[in-house]
Amino acid sequence: MEEMKETYIQEANELLENLESSLLSLEDNPNDKSNIEQVFRVMHTLKGNSSMFGLTKIAEFVHDLETIYDKIRQGEMELSKEILNTTLASFDHLNQIIHDSELSEPKNQENHVSLIAQIHKFINKTGAENTNSKPSVTTTNVSVESGALKTFHIHFEPNEELFLDGSNPLFVIAELAALGKNIIVPHFKKVASIEEFVPTNCITYWDVYVETTVDKTDVQDVFVFVEGNSKIEITEIPFIDLIKNSAFNEVVLASIFKDLKTDVTSIQLLAESIGTKVTAVKKVEAVAATETKTENKEKVVSSIRVASDKLDELMNLVSELVTTQASLTLYNEKFETPELEIISENIEKLSRRLRDIAFGMTLVPINNMFSRFQRLVRDVSDMLGKEVQFVTEGGETELDKSIIETLTDPLMHIIRNSLDHGLETPEDRMFLGKPRKGTVKLKAFYSGISVYVQIIDDGKGIDAEIIRAKAISKGFLREEDVLTDKEIFDFIFYPGFSTAAVVTDISGRGVGMDVVKRNITDLKGTVSVESTVNVGTTLTIKLPLSLSIIDGLLVEIEKVNYIIPLSVVNKCYEVNNADMLHNFNKLLILEDKQVPYINIRQEFGYENLKEDEKSQLIVVSDGDHEVGISVDYIVGEYQAVVKPIGKYYKNQDFISGATILGDGSIALVMDTHKIVELYTEHVKMEAK
Amino acid sequence: MAKNILIVDDSESIREVVGLALRSEGYNVTVGVDGADGLRLLLETPNINLIVSDLNMPNMDGIQFLKEVRKIDKYKYLPILILTTESQEQKKMEAKNAGATGWIIKPFVKEKLLAVVKKVIR
Repeated sequence: MEEMKETYIQEANELLENLESSLLSLEDNPNDKSNIEQVFRVMHTLKGNSSMFGLTKIAEFVHDLETIYDKIRQGEMELSKEILNTTLASFDHLNQIIHDSELSEPKNQENHVSLIAQIHKFINKTGAENTNSKPSVTTTNVSVESGALKTFHIHFEPNEELFLDGSNPLFVIAELAALGKNIIVPHFKKVASIEEFVPTNCITYWDVYVETTVDKTDVQDVFVFVEGNSKIEITEIPFIDLIKNSAFNEVVLASIFKDLKTDVTSIQLLAESIGTKVTAVKKVEAVAATETKTENKEKVVSSIRVASDKLDELMNLVSELVTTQASLTLYNEKFETPELEIISENIEKLSRRLRDIAFGMTLVPINNMFSRFQRLVRDVSDMLGKEVQFVTEGGETELDKSIIETLTDPLMHIIRNSLDHGLETPEDRMFLGKPRKGTVKLKAFYSGISVYVQIIDDGKGIDAEIIRAKAISKGFLREEDVLTDKEIFDFIFYPGFSTAAVVTDISGRGVGMDVVKRNITDLKGTVSVESTVNVGTTLTIKLPLSLSIIDGLLVEIEKVNYIIPLSVVNKCYEVNNADMLHNFNKLLILEDKQVPYINIRQEFGYENLKEDEKSQLIVVSDGDHEVGISVDYIVGEYQAVVKPIGKYYKNQDFISGATILGDGSIALVMDTHKIVELYTEHVKMEAK
Repeated sequence: MAKNILIVDDSESIREVVGLALRSEGYNVTVGVDGADGLRLLLETPNINLIVSDLNMPNMDGIQFLKEVRKIDKYKYLPILILTTESQEQKKMEAKNAGATGWIIKPFVKEKLLAVVKKVIR
């Protein structure tokens, strides 16, 4: 049962998420019928599940809430802003109490009571008289104490169409028979002659005498699914021991024989006719079934839940497979057997596809997170009295689920900041000639092996001068230092740096942004700010794609193998070493373009390039720029399973990992972005 | 021969609870997530002896599902139980008219579920 409870909570969470997004779109579009239906349906399911698991407090709460939406969908009530607010508050409350179903926390108890009061106010507004008008069950006079023996005479004459809803009267009779000692008298008087006989009609009826201890209501219960249009008469006979009484038996049996005598042959014929009829029907059914089968072929994509450790295991196995496949390719190159080559190529193809599918499974669209923020923006802007339009873009961008989870809090903080400090009040915006409604945009997109997430607002922007002054007053910066705006903006990520003139309870007390940065750094991401006063602020988060197998270019520098991720490689050139050695501004002209380059041998402290030889220049993209990196040889394309390097090397960051090659040797995976960054710093230092 | 029961419910919790109870009694259980899925399973699985279906479901709700099942000649007389929380006559009657054999009112205990199931298949 505990495991079941976990399923319940998991599902309840999903339902609530679903509920939230429906509620929010309802807010924009209060008359959307399908949304109201959706809200109702989700609540209904949640109620049903909660009551199944004995969580009556939750079930009752949701029931009341559901009643409102039932009325709305029936047109008895209008969806108002107040109702939506209460519903959203209830939603928050539900999020709490699915973990505290007994309301053991005083705060939950308090909320529970006040929300129920609010909900009841809405329900009662539309007139309490038409609620709870349940048909009262008329209890029949029980003349004999329950538990004592009594006899019932039951006349059961089913509706002729009884079979049509899958009912079987014989089961009813069997259930009656199970109540106690009995005599069952079937009547076949209504059975027609063979010409007029319709085998799908129920034409038998019964008289049943049963001696039992149960009450009349229990006997009625037997008929619960067939009452309505069947004739059922239950009469209590206040005598017992009738069933064994010979005189009683005689009377009853006489009625049986009277019927059987007249109809015994027709019963025989009836059985035979049904037998042949059924086989004939079966053939037709088989044809019909195959026809409908083809119609129903096109299906919705369904999903199942998989434990994440199974996925991790799958990834590991795929990684191993890729490594093994590399050995096979290498072995094949050595011996050049055509048959082996075909096999090896096929395995490569298959493992590549397997890899793509396996990695695709851990990714989820960022949209799930985006929709959560909609609520945040709504609540915060309400509280601040600001009018905000929240726009999302690139919600289909996929990221590892764990990254998305870790990213939620930092993003939430950033958005709060944008709303609180970034956007102006409607009045101020009008004064500045901006649209009354401010815009906060959340945007995600791929670039190389990274995913970018941007938070863009059109608010008042950050004044670099103010930041600078503040940084100086806090002692982070000296008066005479000259910094670019970008470098100055980086100060907002310093611990203990807050520029908010007034600290509000929306965005914190300057403890926020440094934590944001740390969270993102933990994900191996970076964060940067761009801003223009009165135009707006853009905060950019760059995250690595969590792929542990990458397509790379295998290169060699001083007999050491390196992998450069193929996704950043633009083009490879062969260049004369002399051109690089005697170069004043470290720029090469390649295809009419000036490309800065990095002499890796020099950077890595190896023996410098030889004058009269040639090098390979790998041109990689780094953000908006292109940079050439010189290597000795290009070995070829390689599918690299990236493993982290030991903790002794954790402080260097231009190598993002290592991979094992087919022959067992090791290749280092370059982080070209870091290499370029380090090189730039190095050059700057030299210039100083 | 063990009877085959098809459970159709969009809630995983309910599918699990009902499935567990029925399996413990030795029934074979197949599960569908909504009416459309249930219909597909019904056509793909031979010898379904009973359907237990929810009413409120996405894609195809229970009432529509009932109607569709009854359209298939082979399943005209198949017992179908609906799961419902509404104790109102109206919803039950709507289902009954659409071809439901009976109903199980949520919340229910295992014994109650099995008793109702035994009412319609033996």
